[in-house]
This record gives sequence, C-alpha cells and structure tokens, in this order.
Amino acid sequence: MEDKITELKNTARQLRINTLKAITNAGGGHYGGSLSTIEILTVLYFDVMKVSPKKPDDYDRDRLVLSKGHAGPVLYTALAMRGYFPLSDLKDLDKPLSNFPKHVDRLKLKGIDVSTGALGQGLSIACGMAISLKQQKKGNFVYVVLGDGELNSGQIWEAAMAASKYGLDNIIAIVDRNKLQIDGLTEDIMPLEPLKDKWAAFGWDVSEADGHDVASLRDAIYAAQKSNGKPSVIIVKTIKGCGISFMEGKCQWHSGNIDENQYKKCLQELGDGI
Amino acid sequence: MPSGARRRYIEMNTEFKQCAATYGTVLTELAKDNPDIFVVEADLMKASGTRTFMEAFPDRHINVGVAEQNLVGIAAGLAAMDRIPFACTMANFISQRACDQVTISVALNKFNVKLVGCYAGLSQEKNGATHISIMDIAIMRCLPNMKVIVPSDHRELADVLDFASKDTGPLYLRMPRVLPEKLFDSSYKFSFDKGYQINAGSDLTIISNGISSYVTVEALDELKKENIDARLIHLPVVKPVDTDLILKAAIETGAIITVEDHSVYGGLGGLVSEIVSENRSAMVARIGLKDMFGLTANLDFQLNYFGISVENIVKTAKNILIKKKNT
Repeated sequence: MEDKITELKNTARQLRINTLKAITNAGGGHYGGSLSTIEILTVLYFDVMKVSPKKPDDYDRDRLVLSKGHAGPVLYTALAMRGYFPLSDLKDLDKPLSNFPKHVDRLKLKGIDVSTGALGQGLSIACGMAISLKQQKKGNFVYVVLGDGELNSGQIWEAAMAASKYGLDNIIAIVDRNKLQIDGLTEDIMPLEPLKDKWAAFGWDVSEADGHDVASLRDAIYAAQKSNGKPSVIIVKTIKGCGISFMEGKCQWHSGNIDENQYKKCLQELGDGI
Repeated sequence: MPSGARRRYIEMNTEFKQCAATYGTVLTELAKDNPDIFVVEADLMKASGTRTFMEAFPDRHINVGVAEQNLVGIAAGLAAMDRIPFACTMANFISQRACDQVTISVALNKFNVKLVGCYAGLSQEKNGATHISIMDIAIMRCLPNMKVIVPSDHRELADVLDFASKDTGPLYLRMPRVLPEKLFDSSYKFSFDKGYQINAGSDLTIISNGISSYVTVEALDELKKENIDARLIHLPVVKPVDTDLILKAAIETGAIITVEDHSVYGGLGGLVSEIVSENRSAMVARIGLKDMFGLTANLDFQLNYFGISVENIVKTAKNILIKKKNT
C-alpha cells in the first residue's frame, strides 16, 4: 500500500511537470484549473480506472467525462504517460489541425471518451453512459470531473436529479473544489455552499477528500464505488494552480502565459530534473 | 378553390393523423429487432406517442422531465455507448433551449443521436409564438455533422424512422403534430439521396417539404387551370440536399418558388437561394415566415396568414413568371 501511494505521488509530480511543460510549450493556457486536477487524474488513470492503452476501444472499460474540458492538457498528459501515445506528441498541444486541441476531442485521439469544453454538459452525458451500462448489467464505472464554477450551470442539476431518479450508483462525480472561477471566488460570483447539502438533497452520496493527497482521493473513490443505489459525488478540496507558488489560489491564472524566468521558477519549484 | 376542403380535413382530422401514433408505433416495432434503440423523453410522451414503447421496453425508455438540455445530454451519453437514442421534444425546445447541447454534446462529438422535434412549425396551432418552431431547420442545418429530414406524410415518416435507426451519426427529424396519412402515390419511396419530383413541368418549379407539401400538391390543379406548367419537387432531406435536382430545376425552368412553414431565413428558401445563387441564374421566390413569430390560431388560419396557401402560390407563380419574362 505504501509503495502504491509513493508511486502515485511520483506519478502526480511527473504529471504536473509534464502538463506545465505542455501548456507552456503551447504558449500558455489553463494553468490554474489544470494544476488543480493533477492528483485527481493521477489516481483515476494510474490506479482506479479499468482502462488499457492497448485496447482503448474495449467496450468493457471504465469511462471518463472531463466535464471541465479546459483541463484537457492534464488528460492528454496523463494518457501519454499511461502509454496511449508518446509524450513527445504533446508538442502539438493547441497547434492548428493537431490532435491536441485546447479542449479534448474524442474524434482525434484514442482514449478520449467525450469531447468537452462547453461547461455544464458532462454530467448529463455521464448519466446516459451509466444508464446504458446498467441496462446491460455491466459493472463498469463512469467518472466525471466537474469544475466547481460549472456547478453554476442549471444543466448540472438537471443531470443530478436524473442520476438520482435512475439510481446511477455507477457514476462517481468528482468536484474540483478550488473555489475560484474566472471572475473571482465562487462564493462571490455565485455561491455554491452549502455544497454538500445541495448534492445530498438531490439524492447523492456525498463525501469529501483532499484533492492533492492521492491517498485521500483513492480512499474516497474506492468508498464511492461501494455506493448502492445512489450516485456518488466526491467534493475534493483543491488549490487552483497547485504546485506553483505565484499561481496558487489566484483566479487570474485560470488562463494565462508565463515568461522564460517564470518557467524556470516553475520547474525549480516542481523539482524538475531532481 | 379547394381551401374549404382543406380546412375541413385539418379540423376534422380525417385525412390528417397525429404523428405521435406513427412515431410511437414504428419505434416500438423497430426496437423489437434492435436492442440498442432507446427512447428519451422530456415530459411529452403524449406528444411523441411513446407510451407503448415504455410499456414494451421500460428499461429503454428514459424520461428526464421538463429538462431539454439534459434530454439531449443523456441521449449523447447513450450514443457514446453505441446505443441508438431517439430524443424527442417540441421542435422549438430541442433546437433552441438545447441548442448548445445539440451543438457540443451531439454534433461536435458526432454521436449517433436521433433528435426529433415534434409539434414542429405551425402545427403547434394555438400554442402560438412561444411554441411554434420557426428556426429549427435553420439551426440544425448550420450544425456540422447534422442530417436534417422533413417528411410530409405518415408513410414517409415511418420510412425516415427506419432509415434513422439504421443510419449512423447525428440526425434531426422535423415532425409536425399532424401530417396527411398518405400524400404521395404508392410509387413513391423515401430516398435519403434524392429529392422527389412529383410533377414534371417547365414554366417554374415549386419546392416544398413537411406540411407545406400538402398545400403545394393541392396547388398543382389550380396552376394548371391558370395554364402554368409547374414542376413540383418534394425535398424531405434538407441536409445533405439533392443539389443536382435543384440546379436542374433552375436551369430548365428558370424560376423557383419555395414553400415552408418555417422562417425563409435559413430554411428551405434560404437553402435553395444559396444553391441557385452560387451556381445558376434563376429567380427564387420564398414563401414562409418572414421575420415574424407564429400566431395563436389553428393550422389552416396560420397557413393562409403566412401565404402557405393555394391562392398565394398561384399569385406568386404569376408574379415570378412576369419577372422571369422581363429578365
């Protein structure tokens, strides 16, 4: 167990470095919301999800809907590190006509289950997937990564009601609760709290985890898999821009670019090359 | 003038039949042989007629309540699992309320979702402006990867449903509340690739689909009485459209009238104008809604009000022939 946690921590560290490099190479992008999802995607792709880069189209696989599609660079990097394609392909991020557009496109790349980018739509799609899996009596899970800002969207709550109605205990939603959205603090722009109570009132099993502690995330996801008859949501406390001192907790780093000196500082802080 | 007869048909529903009957029955039949067909509803089973489907296949019938964005999203998720969802709600809601979900969750993803806009166009009748879809065809036609089909009678509707269940990719079916049970003779069979020339003619061409084809078929006799030799084309597939048939009509008749219970901006009128103007010189007159919302009125009143009538088609034909002669 200790070995697994250490391995996941190392993977997360490398995923953070590689993601930062990919975004910087593309001339900047969504640093903040990408860096807050690093541990979430690490635990999903390197521990809990039943997927195989050798059989990316295997019907009996778990699915991921990255509803906060702007964290695409993390998903690309995780897939590359998981062996879906070479890490060097990430040089094409954001390049015209490449297979790595800013928001993930399932038609361009094996391993992407759903093209996302317009916020608020992922949970409904996950519901459709989960309904199908249940109807076929398959035991796979559908994981959904939601931004907290996108919880402003009404469609999320339409989907939350449907997941509850249809008893979709094969959905595990993970809310990246970094408490920031483009214009400022989520609680200033459109307050979400009491968020746990909201999900619970919609009929969901609710838990919390530390979004930058792989052990905490892992425990929460495995516990959510045991939910019976109710969909699960894990509200994970994260830091937007996590790992980079000058980005952490600052909403202006939702999207941006960095200069050469800042880049060096980032790599130094992340311990690249150590 | 047969408009009195038409009025009676519509009001008495003798010739016109609720599309819900065919939609529900045909999908239930198709689903017997195809275990992947799902029905997704948004609290409008009465309008779509899928209660029989729900009773036959309860685990393949999803009802999301009054939540059209979720309707489309859930259908997209089903399609992501290689299932074949038919998602139906009123044409205005599926094209307008859920427009971004149709765009991103369905069209961009190229998911195999069948979007069905029921109670489409003026067939909403007294529900009026809030419910009458006047831009669903224009919206759907703009979306990459989206096929758009507008059938005109129940036999064709059944054929389109069968086609949709076997075809792959996003598709929009515009389904009015009522359609004639059988508008075309038995030789006609729906073809995805071809428009249907109902009548050969050389003076001008009339192009229509949906409920308007019922009116244009009726107009043929009146045009004959006026010694106008009209070609009549029924164009159920708006996208991808049978461009050759339209251009042939433009070349051979030099004048085209489009008729639709939809905005002429971006609808059939817009479509035909685009094709003709890019390729040939021909007059195009567009009958339909011009910068107006639908009304609270019965179908017959609305069709007449917006000029989708035998009288207006004859009048428009006379005008366009004068213009054609003078150019």
